[in-house]
Amino acid sequence: MTFPVKLNDYWMKLKRYNYYTNDYQAYEFYSEGPKGHIRKLVIFTKVPDTEPPIYNLAFSDARADTGELDDAVISNNEDRDIVLATVANTIATFCDHYGNHYIYAEGSTASRTRLYQMGIAGLWPEISTDFDVYGLKENDWQAFKPYGVNYDAFLVKRK
Amino acid sequence: MPTTAKHTTIQKGFGPAIISSEVKNHADDPFVIKKVAKARETLKRVGLPDIKKK
Repeated sequence: MTFPVKLNDYWMKLKRYNYYTNDYQAYEFYSEGPKGHIRKLVIFTKVPDTEPPIYNLAFSDARADTGELDDAVISNNEDRDIVLATVANTIATFCDHYGNHYIYAEGSTASRTRLYQMGIAGLWPEISTDFDVYGLKENDWQAFKPYGVNYDAFLVKRK
Repeated sequence: MPTTAKHTTIQKGFGPAIISSEVKNHADDPFVIKKVAKARETLKRVGLPDIKKK
């Protein structure tokens, strides 16, 4: 399989986990750290009645006991940057197969959304060159600023 | 579709996904349905960005 996307050179320095898919809409990878081997899922789902199409990004741990998805879990596996770089990889792979659609992401709680924001900010040199990113603030989309604003949700579109 | 044994390795740089028939779709998972409903509600209210604001 050839991989058509050539993202900027910044990406080449990033560490990421290898990640798995069956349909290019659901992705799975494993976080490795002091808390052990944690299964993570990234799922892209078209939001009904959106035109142009918008896909929701759901990111979650799978509970070790039941396998259920639960993004309220804080795994603290000391690999946040690797995890977030892996999620960014899944976005680019999804776009390769389904097109450069808008992708919406929001945490289940304000603190989880803040964690996403910290992740985007931490990878901003890589993300900003390949993706347009917007943050939702007071019911208005704004061009994402990595610091100084707490957003309620995010919208990403590959350039 | 071939099944690939999953194991974790840390890679550097951008790379493709590995195909595995073990990865389920999850579109009908209650967690995903709830997230999509919330996204739909928010997007219905706020729409898409006005690109001119960028």
